[in-house]
Amino acid sequence: IQPPEKPLQAEEWNRLRESFRSPEIFEEVMFNNMVRCNSPIDVAKSLLTHVAKSNGDIAYNLLVKYLALCVQQGQTSEIRDVYDIMKIRFKTLESGAYNLVIRGLSNSDQWRMALTLLEEVKKIMVPSRTNYESCIKAASRHQEMNLAFELYHEMLAKDLVPTFDVLQAFFDFSRGMKGAELQKELFGILLYLRENQIYPHKTFMRSIKLWFESIPGGNWRGHLTSIKDSGQCPVCNHQLEDSDLTEEEYNNLSERIIRDVIHGTDTFRKTSPQEFEAFQMFVENRLPFDIVIDGLNVSHIKPRKMQCENLFDAVNCLAKDNARLLVLGRKHMLINSSNWKREIMKEMQNKADFFFAENISEDDAFLLYATLRSGKHCKFVTRDFLRDHKACLSDSLTRHLFRKWQRGHQISKKMFLSVFIQQPAFRYDCVVQTTGDTWHIPYKDIFEEKYSYQVPRKWLCIQQK
Amino acid sequence: MQSANVLLKKIVRSSVLPFAAQHGMKKDLFPLSRTLSLSLCLKQDNSCSPSEKIDLDAWKKVMKSGLQEVSETASERKELSTLAAAREILEMWRLAGRSVPENISEEQLKTFMECPSKSAKKKYLKYLHLKELYKKNDKRKMVERRERRLETQEQASNTDETKRNSFICLWASCMDRAYGWRVAQSMIFGQPLVFDMSYEKDMSVREVANTVRQLVLSEGCNRRSVDPFHIHFCNFKDDSLYHKEFMKHYREAWGKLLITVTDQCYTDVFPKDKLIYLTADSPKVMKTFDHNKIYIVGSMVDRSIKTGVSLARAKRLGLETAALPLEKYLLWNTGAKNLTLDQMMHILLTLKDTGDWKAALEFVPKRKYYGFVSKPVHELKKTLNLINTLKLGKRQEEVRKQFAKNYSKKLTQK
Repeated sequence: IQPPEKPLQAEEWNRLRESFRSPEIFEEVMFNNMVRCNSPIDVAKSLLTHVAKSNGDIAYNLLVKYLALCVQQGQTSEIRDVYDIMKIRFKTLESGAYNLVIRGLSNSDQWRMALTLLEEVKKIMVPSRTNYESCIKAASRHQEMNLAFELYHEMLAKDLVPTFDVLQAFFDFSRGMKGAELQKELFGILLYLRENQIYPHKTFMRSIKLWFESIPGGNWRGHLTSIKDSGQCPVCNHQLEDSDLTEEEYNNLSERIIRDVIHGTDTFRKTSPQEFEAFQMFVENRLPFDIVIDGLNVSHIKPRKMQCENLFDAVNCLAKDNARLLVLGRKHMLINSSNWKREIMKEMQNKADFFFAENISEDDAFLLYATLRSGKHCKFVTRDFLRDHKACLSDSLTRHLFRKWQRGHQISKKMFLSVFIQQPAFRYDCVVQTTGDTWHIPYKDIFEEKYSYQVPRKWLCIQQK
Repeated sequence: MQSANVLLKKIVRSSVLPFAAQHGMKKDLFPLSRTLSLSLCLKQDNSCSPSEKIDLDAWKKVMKSGLQEVSETASERKELSTLAAAREILEMWRLAGRSVPENISEEQLKTFMECPSKSAKKKYLKYLHLKELYKKNDKRKMVERRERRLETQEQASNTDETKRNSFICLWASCMDRAYGWRVAQSMIFGQPLVFDMSYEKDMSVREVANTVRQLVLSEGCNRRSVDPFHIHFCNFKDDSLYHKEFMKHYREAWGKLLITVTDQCYTDVFPKDKLIYLTADSPKVMKTFDHNKIYIVGSMVDRSIKTGVSLARAKRLGLETAALPLEKYLLWNTGAKNLTLDQMMHILLTLKDTGDWKAALEFVPKRKYYGFVSKPVHELKKTLNLINTLKLGKRQEEVRKQFAKNYSKKLTQK
């Protein structure tokens, strides 16, 4: 039903209500529609008055909906009124009402009131990240950067993930401001992006660029660019960090892979202890490999070809530079069939080492183990994104490590091309990085669809002259 | 105070008489003061009593009046305990229209507060809310049924009724005894069926409760069958959560159940070469039901699909495994291939009695498959033919061949 355009008399409301098919929820539906159509506030008031007079009371959910309408239209005095009424009427409010009031007040000149409300929320629950967002934005809009940062750190301490809007607000409102402390805090945000492998979007990137260029006496210059495959920045010729893990990270990752991915809750789920031991022996005796191939995955690259032919092509192609290859497969590949010809398999076994797992074992886990065990130079070939294995890792830090390692070491093939095109593994690490007098920040276009396994190709290069 | 409020309400109610509205002037007449004193309020109402406008802020007065006492009592309250505070928040959520149960017990409230995240809390509340709704509905239906029964009883003569009742009682107890005999017989001569009760660690509390419920249902349908299995609960620990849940269902009947409960592993009870572990992850598909084998079913409900857990058990013990031939007989639609324990029980019982896969697989939930393989192929072909004759004209024969080829390929693959 369409909400009326002008305030109605009690009788008119009554008539409307009678004509509605379920009068019990008439007010609720009406208020929902008012919020949707952004009706004038007076209309809502007249309905409230009608309800108040006929019932002597107004239900909580109607008040919240009215509040939503007020917030939507920025009616600060009304918001305060409703809040006061709610406060006397009910002992506590629930999160929805608090969200609305905080959002409404933080956009007004009574933004300090929002801060006191935030304190009130803290008493009964953990405030949501949008609560913090409203307050931080309000504080930074009024140039109270210290207060804003205090709230920001408090929010991080509560394991809330700040929105891009919050982070961007810091850069937007500190533009042109001086202060070593402030600069340190903002650098801190950039490092937060680095640690969590978050990529800013285009408008956020622009805020960062403008802030850098506005630092008084800083002489920073920003350029938009894209990085060469070699990892060199075309603007400042700086070589980006390479994607190799440190020794410690590397060991940590291999340990975790063995513990969480291969063994997991039960070694028998993916393999068996005997098989894994046999595999370990096999790998130790032949180390190190240069490339480890997921045989079954590669054999499905071109569906029209025979499976062993696909694998044969891949092995031939990769075996060129005397690289030591390991192909992982399952035992059923050894049985002569229409897809797996014994002669071709024999020929391949001359060119590469083969390990055949049980048919019900998971060969991916072996792939990861063999590659990690061979050392940092070793790469692996599969089209699989290995998401399920990443998910087995227990903490996010290791998962980030895994992604980073995967980016640097996975070779995947583009399908349906007659030439065996390799998509090279990334040589440089795609994170926010700094050397002190330069910053390199990868960013994504806001409309660009980005999957979690993709990394942005566009960069912001900032250097100090 | 009380009387003043009533008076105020009356005045407020009468002061605004419906008249043709003239908007825009109310703000001048009614200042938006939040600190209205009672007397001022009265005065203002009197001053503009026969106003032509709608008093848009009248609701505020109504809300503020009559509430003075409430706010006073609220301020008198001391600091609330955390439990009481949680209860209050729940009440507010309920008022805001979220799915929250009306009544919540102390224990449930504690579980609620122990939920690790906001979404877990929300989920738990929704679960309680739905449970409450179902309970209410059941109660309502029961009352209705009783009323209907009373009506019919009035119509029927009294003597007749008692006769039939006693007959029913006699019949029921007779049946119970007969069932008991059959199950007792199966305990001596029957084919064993093992439920592996070693999955407690892999499940949440609610999943264990669901498992036990399914087991109770399975036991019931086994008891009523013509030729029951001899049910074994293996790896059953007496202090386990399973045990606790069973006690909730069976109470004192738990000790009288005609099943074998043991803390031993099935490999200790039966020869290894006779055991077959039934699991949906098994690479082997069951072809026929073997009356000389002992089938094992894992007593696990995995809402968060944990692939390969039961397969791992069987692998560790070196047991043979098998999966039901669902793909072979059914055109699968959606849903996981793991079935509930009572469905498994129905299927196995039917297989044991008839060996007919089609009859047995009738117990797979209908939503999970389109139909039995023979039927849909036939029907699909018909519709396909129709479409082809309408659309393509000549090429229908070719398309049909293609379809048949693809379909047979699909079957062989799986």
